[in-house]
Parts: sequence; structure tokens; C-alpha cells
Amino acid sequence: MQQNGRTDPTRNWVAIVLTDIHFWVPVAVLLGGLLLLRLIH
Amino acid sequence: MESALASQSSTAVQATPRTRKLQVLGILSGFTAGAWLGAAEAPTKLVSIGVSPMVISLIMVVGVFLARWSLPALILGTSSVRADVRRAPHLIIWALLAGCLWAVANTLTIFAIRDIGLSIAFPLWNSNSLLGILWGFLFFNELRQAGWRRWAGVLGGTLVMCVGAALLAIASSSEAPAAHSLRGVWAALGAGVLWGTMYIPYRKAYLTGMNPLSFVTFFTFGELGMMTALAVSYLGVAPLWRELMGARDVLFWLMLGGFIWVIGDLFQQYAAKYVGISRGIPLSNTNQLWGLLWGILVFGELHSRGASLYMQVVGGSLLMMLGVGAIALSSATGKEQSRWKEAARREGERYDVAHDYVEARMDGRQAATEEKPSRGALDWLLVAGATFIFVVLATIARVPQISFRWGPAALLIAATLVLLLVCGAKLWRTTHFH
Repeated sequence: MQQNGRTDPTRNWVAIVLTDIHFWVPVAVLLGGLLLLRLIH
Repeated sequence: MESALASQSSTAVQATPRTRKLQVLGILSGFTAGAWLGAAEAPTKLVSIGVSPMVISLIMVVGVFLARWSLPALILGTSSVRADVRRAPHLIIWALLAGCLWAVANTLTIFAIRDIGLSIAFPLWNSNSLLGILWGFLFFNELRQAGWRRWAGVLGGTLVMCVGAALLAIASSSEAPAAHSLRGVWAALGAGVLWGTMYIPYRKAYLTGMNPLSFVTFFTFGELGMMTALAVSYLGVAPLWRELMGARDVLFWLMLGGFIWVIGDLFQQYAAKYVGISRGIPLSNTNQLWGLLWGILVFGELHSRGASLYMQVVGGSLLMMLGVGAIALSSATGKEQSRWKEAARREGERYDVAHDYVEARMDGRQAATEEKPSRGALDWLLVAGATFIFVVLATIARVPQISFRWGPAALLIAATLVLLLVCGAKLWRTTHFH
């Protein structure tokens, strides 16, 4: 284990975020919010 | 083997009082968040000039930005932020995303208030607590194996709070709704959905061990970036600059509102960390109650209005307090806590964060491998820079000529400061702000 607490620093954390289903829920809501803002403005 | 089992069992027995302590801390943080988020409305009430709502929101976010960097630097030091980011760099993306969600939601509320009035808009976007319960249940094992009593306490308490909030909002609204009511309803509901979903990144961060003080420093880049982009795209650079220059004598009050809001939000973050989003969001939604207290007692709102209006206010406040009491008494049981830990393990494995670090942070401690946080020159520079900006803006600020009652204001300020000191001291003693 590394000093910084991560066990495998070679793993690409951006890829892990992008394959996390939890990530796409707020992204979808954000896009919906921007679209709503555009429609009502 | 036997001794290992005995040690595990003893740890489990010892963990129970600690867990209870953290739950109480989370509930107290939720209450304190409500008081400070409500007090943040006070400086903005001093501003009654013709500045566009988008510009008011942007200036407040600039105050928020200053606070989100200077307060963590003062409390733990930026070395702690850097260490957290090294351990869980993925949380930068989550924090930026949460900040963007906040900015869009805040802008939608401006349109909602304009189109349907505060009385209808506030309860609609306060539905964010119901969505928080849903996300907490679906994604983070909150309220799993909690038993029907706790379900009734949390869900029932939230619904009672929504009814109380609706009563208060109707009572506090003096303006008739304008045209475009359907558009306003959509804007308010949209803000509720965005704010309710914003808590997914919050919970995600705290289940993988990040300190709330670290999370907010990156959150604010999303917040300021998105708010600036919205203001520029809707107003244009030159008109935006002209409005900012025209509002320079009220910049201090608006930025002070943002600064106070950040203190409330920090406590809200600790509530989300220690009692989860299903309980933390409704508790911090008591800000509406505090905002109304400021409005009625200090700024003389609702003055010389009918007795039925005051009954509405008292009734709404009692309902909100009843709901808060129900949620506060429905803290997570041992079984539910173990489901939270399962979710934390899952997140730790997915994002490759060391198990001992996640476990220690969930327990409000530092991991054995962590270095003690310390403050350096950069931290003092950040604190001094933020203080300097506020002092300069205070010297050019205009004191508005409005009705202001000093007696009730002193009482409310004292109550808010007492909550800050009590909750801050408890956070320090129990977790050292971890």
C-alpha cells in the first residue's frame, strides 16, 4: 500500500468515475436543469 | 484466533457509544446548519437596489468562494486538503459536479420566485429532502433494515416539515404571483430535483473518507465557474461588468451573506456525513424557519398584519419543529449502520481507497497512516487575503436606511453564535473536524 492510502496508483480514476452509474445520475439531472433554464429564459 | 474474535467483539461493543455520539453530532450539525443558512438571508435583505437577480447570485457566490478557501485553511490548513485529494482524486470531479448543480438550481429559484412567488416556490424546491431520501436509499443503503418506526420517523417527519414549510411560505409571501405560473412551477421543481441530486456527490465523498472541509474547496470551483458562465451568457460581459460596478456599495453585504451561508453549509456537510442525506437534508431545511424569524423580528416583515397570519406562522413553525423532532429521534440503528459500512466498502473498493482510511474517516478519526494536518504560510495568506477583501469592501459599503430592530437581532445573533460554538466545540472534541 502507498503512503497516500491508495493501493494501486496505476488505475485510471477518471475511467472509474465515468463507468460509475452513480455519476451519470447527477450529470443527467444537470443537463436537464440547463435545458430547463434555457427553455424558461 | 480466539483473541482476535474477542478483540473484534470488544471493538463492536465499544463502537456503539461512538456511533451514537456521531449521530448526535450529525443531528446537532443539521440544526446549526439551519440557523446559519437562515441567517445568511439577513445581509441580503439589506440590499434593495435595482441589481439583477443573476448579479446578486454571482456576487454572493464570490463571497462563498472566498469563504470556502479561507475557512478550511484556518481550521485545518490546506495541507489537509492536498492529502485528501491525493487519497481520493476522483472526488474533485464529484465536487465540481455538485457545485455546477448548486449554481443551476440557485438560478432556477430566481426565476421561480419571480414567476410564482416565494409562497409556492419554497415548498416546491424543499421537496429536495424527499429526493434525498430516495437517493440515500437507492445508492447508499440508507434506511435499509431500519425498521418501520424509523421509516415513519424520517419520511413522516419530512412530509410534516413540507406542510409546515408551505404554511410558513404562504404566510411570509406578500406578493401575488405574477404571470407564467406554469414556468415558475417547473423552475421550482427543477431546483428541488437539482438540489436533491446534489447530495449524491456529498454522500459519495463522505463514504470514501473525504473531509467536508476538503470537499467544499473544490465544490466552489464548480459553483463559481457555472455561475459566471450563466451570468455572462444571459447578460453579456459588458452589461455584467456595468452592473457589478453599479453595485459596488452593496458588494460587502451580499458577499457577507455568502460567507455566512458557507458556515451553514459546512455544518450541513457534517450532517450529511454523520447522519446521511435522508436525515441531514430535512434537518438543514429548517433554515426557512430561521429566515422567517429574521424577517419578522428584525426586519419588521408581516408587521400589523392580521392575527390569522400570525397563527399560520406559529402553526407552520410548530409543524416544522415536530417534523425535525421526528427525524432527530429516528437515528440509524446498528443494522442500518452496518449497511452504510457495506456501501462505504463498495465505494472504497471501486475507487481504490485504502480500507483503514475509509473506516477511520467514517468514524470521524484520522487513519494511522495519515500525517497530522498543519497550517503553513499559504494558509495564512489565504486567510489574510480574504480578510483584506472583506475589510476593503466594508469601507466602501453603504449602510442602508431600512427598519432594523437591534434587540431581536442581538438575540438571534447570540443564539446563532451559541450554536456555532457548541457544535464547533463538539465537532472538534469528537472528530477534530474530520
